[in-house]
Amino acid sequence: MLSRRTLLGVGLALAARRALAFGEAARLSFAQVRHRGRWDPRPDGLSRLAWEIAKRTSIETSPAIKSIALADPELFRYPFAVLSSDQAVPPPADNEVAELRRYLSYGGFLLLDDASATRGGGFEQSARQIVSRIVPGAQLGRVPRDHVLYKSFYLLDGPSGRVASSPDLEALELGGRLAVLYSGNDLVGALSRDSLGTWEFEVTPGGELQREKSIRLGVNVAMYALCLDYKEDQVHIPFIMKRRRI
Amino acid sequence: MLALAVAALAAAVWLSFRGFRSDPAGARRVALLGFRLTAALLVLVLLLEPGIELRAESRVRARVALLFDTSRSMKFPAGPSGPSRAEELRRWATQHQDDLAQLASRFQVDVYGFDKELQPADPGRLPADPQGASTDILAALGAAASGGSGGRPLAGLFVASDGADNAELSQGVSPAAAAELRRFNAPVFALPVGAQALKDLAVEKVAVDDFAFVRNQVTLDVVIAARGFGSTDVPVVLRREGQVVAQKTLHIDGSRSRYEVKLSFVPDRTGKFAFTVSVPVYEGEAIAQNNSRSFVLKVIRDRVRVLLVVGRPSWDVRFLRQLLKKDPNVDLISFFILRTPGDDPHSSQDELSLIPFPTQEIFQEQLKTFDLVIFQNFNHRPYRMSQYLDGIASYVREGGAFAMIGGDQSFSAGDYAGTPIEDVLPVTLLPSGPTAVDETPAQVRLTDPGRRHPVTELASSAAQNESLWTALPRLPGLNTTGPLKGGAQTLLQSPEGRPVLVVGEAGRGRVLALLSDSSWFWSFVAAGAQLGPRAYETFWHSAIRWLVRDPALTPMRVTAERPSFEPGGEPPALDVQVRGSDYGAAGGAQIVVVTSSATDPVPRPTGAAMAGPDGNARIVLPPLPAGAYKATVTAKRADGTTIGEAEDAFVVAPASRELIEAAPRPDVLQAVAAATKGRVIEASDSLATLPWRDPERVEVGQRTSKPLWDNWKVLVLLCLVVGAEWTLRRRWGYA
Repeated sequence: MLSRRTLLGVGLALAARRALAFGEAARLSFAQVRHRGRWDPRPDGLSRLAWEIAKRTSIETSPAIKSIALADPELFRYPFAVLSSDQAVPPPADNEVAELRRYLSYGGFLLLDDASATRGGGFEQSARQIVSRIVPGAQLGRVPRDHVLYKSFYLLDGPSGRVASSPDLEALELGGRLAVLYSGNDLVGALSRDSLGTWEFEVTPGGELQREKSIRLGVNVAMYALCLDYKEDQVHIPFIMKRRRI
Repeated sequence: MLALAVAALAAAVWLSFRGFRSDPAGARRVALLGFRLTAALLVLVLLLEPGIELRAESRVRARVALLFDTSRSMKFPAGPSGPSRAEELRRWATQHQDDLAQLASRFQVDVYGFDKELQPADPGRLPADPQGASTDILAALGAAASGGSGGRPLAGLFVASDGADNAELSQGVSPAAAAELRRFNAPVFALPVGAQALKDLAVEKVAVDDFAFVRNQVTLDVVIAARGFGSTDVPVVLRREGQVVAQKTLHIDGSRSRYEVKLSFVPDRTGKFAFTVSVPVYEGEAIAQNNSRSFVLKVIRDRVRVLLVVGRPSWDVRFLRQLLKKDPNVDLISFFILRTPGDDPHSSQDELSLIPFPTQEIFQEQLKTFDLVIFQNFNHRPYRMSQYLDGIASYVREGGAFAMIGGDQSFSAGDYAGTPIEDVLPVTLLPSGPTAVDETPAQVRLTDPGRRHPVTELASSAAQNESLWTALPRLPGLNTTGPLKGGAQTLLQSPEGRPVLVVGEAGRGRVLALLSDSSWFWSFVAAGAQLGPRAYETFWHSAIRWLVRDPALTPMRVTAERPSFEPGGEPPALDVQVRGSDYGAAGGAQIVVVTSSATDPVPRPTGAAMAGPDGNARIVLPPLPAGAYKATVTAKRADGTTIGEAEDAFVVAPASRELIEAAPRPDVLQAVAAATKGRVIEASDSLATLPWRDPERVEVGQRTSKPLWDNWKVLVLLCLVVGAEWTLRRRWGYA
């Protein structure tokens, strides 16, 4: 029996442009971290994000989402990982935290997406604990509004998601780049569609405009993961400054 | 003591006189006073013990020191097209033989040659080819004044010189130097030699660092010495191997003898270059050779300027950008295509951070400012770049570096077949189509050239290097190409022989083809396999260094023994190291050297040799005249095929100030003479008639002393005088 994800993946793959890529390695593929809690609260969200990215940008994406455990060496084939849940995440084992630390320090990117979108909720608390174990004593810090993340493709003025719960994105910086990004607004939930193509969740309070902003934020996050601070190169600054003024 | 004795005697005489001053008989009073005074004088004589000294005296002749300049600056012409200063001085000495003999009849004459120190000389045998390495007039005068024959008094000093001092007096006579000259206490008479050739323009000094950074402004501080010029404008020109790179007009107003000029330029390529600063040679100038000055400047990179053009964001792009951005030696300019014409961002342009792809600016205006251009999975077609591909190929052939990294928009798949880019790539391309890529995973293996090539050297041990490459994760696919170009080398390949990494040269440039879009596997995926990212980082750092011809990775090298050689000294020598493009020693290679100079840009054969078994050779060039030279060394195999070419620059130029600051300085001699109350003389003036100090000085030969008191007559006389006074005083009734 075909799962909803398989059907969606086939559909998206057919819709994607044909490219002579060298297998999946050349494409942006998301890895969904499989933990001991409810690790897949938005089964179709990441595939939809991959599809939107491919449709809107030059990035080639893979609609297939790889679910993977933190300790699995295969994780290093997927430099973009998403860890989400709508409830508290059981603390990972020490070896899993160690692997995650290596993953991030060698160039991996981790999106922590709170599907519950509850400030101070179980996921947020466990996410903060994981971060403080990755780099002992470290804490997530607010991502300033002038960070390159908000201009890596779209010019955005702040975070977005299924609900407007947190006013800011938070992050852990390693080696001069954002290695861990925390979204408290259920970013992936805003992109989820059902098998018939309708949006799975209502987006509040901003409605469809907020959903569009959420898609754009998802695109920007992917673009940042692949291009880092490219949009802070000197050549871009006059253009961006001019458009910011409009 | 003497005063006390005289006072005591006078008091005694006075007291005795008081005893009979009331006596009316004045004659008796006078007689007694006379006796008493005589007695007192005799006592004084006994006390003073006077005597007579007899001396035999003779008059001593004073000393004159004659100093003749024997420094190398005396080899320059005394006047335009005339004999040398040394020759002129020899002629003067010949003409003044009688004069010198006459001088010697009055004075003890000490004759010296001098440069930085004194040495005895014969005025009739002054050197025609003086070799003194420097000129120190003050020290020479000081040594002559304090030394000399037997401590005779100094009547004066005579110095014949061009005045071209390069020691204490090089900037003129300072107050301290004048004070030292006055301490001689004798006049200095000076004969300026070559003073008739006062007009001279010289590039006296060029201050510049030994190395400069490419594309960064270099400023030279140039000192121009001008003597005998009125108000005039002089062009000061800086040339790099004959080509003008900077120029400035210097206004000379005649009020000073030294002028400073700053010349600036921006070196546009790396390497070692010979530069020459020059001013025109004007008619009547004393020395034409000092109107230009050459130096060698090594132009290096402060940072490698890399242009990274990316067809689409990917993990391969991301890891390479991260590596290059973190490298402090790389100045990265990157352009990523974030949106293609087929993409629909659901927004207006103003909501996007995208900028137009500035093709004209980067591929036409700025292209030559880059050391390396990388096309990473980039297809030129959608961006109408065909017009720029020729320029990119020319940039490479003229010494640029180009790397193409694989992907579905690269090599054959990027539609580069038949374009100028294919002409410079080390591989031939196929028409674009499904066969342009091969998705079969590839485990990379070192080829034979790859085992020696610096780009693929991950470890110094060959076995370790081999195992490091073999252990790396498999690449998920490769671009497909046609056959390799001639001279290209496959460094990495798949087990079935598909090329993975190919390098080559195009004209003077270097090219690299990495037929994979997944070299990031050697970093992140390797890290997951506990290998770490070191192989990836080492590979890319080495690849960039090789591409931009980092001197440490150049297979063939030539190095001049020194950056500057002395004219007429040891001939220039070159050390040549010949390695093939596979970095193996090219023993037995035929090496030919051609040199060109700033004034003669036509390369002329100047040497040849055969490389030893280790590929090394030392080539001694024939003596070369002063100038800036570029040596180009070409190595060929026995069959005539070229192995490689290398260049180095050197100058043949005097290093000592003696030959650089050689213009006549009569002003220095004038000031020396003035400080000592001497004067500057004409060549026709007679030395014998000069106002020498000629001090009176006698020498005592024998001395005899004869005492005047030490005899019996003085004692008898004293007794008689005292007795007579006593007798008369008694007879006349005084107490």
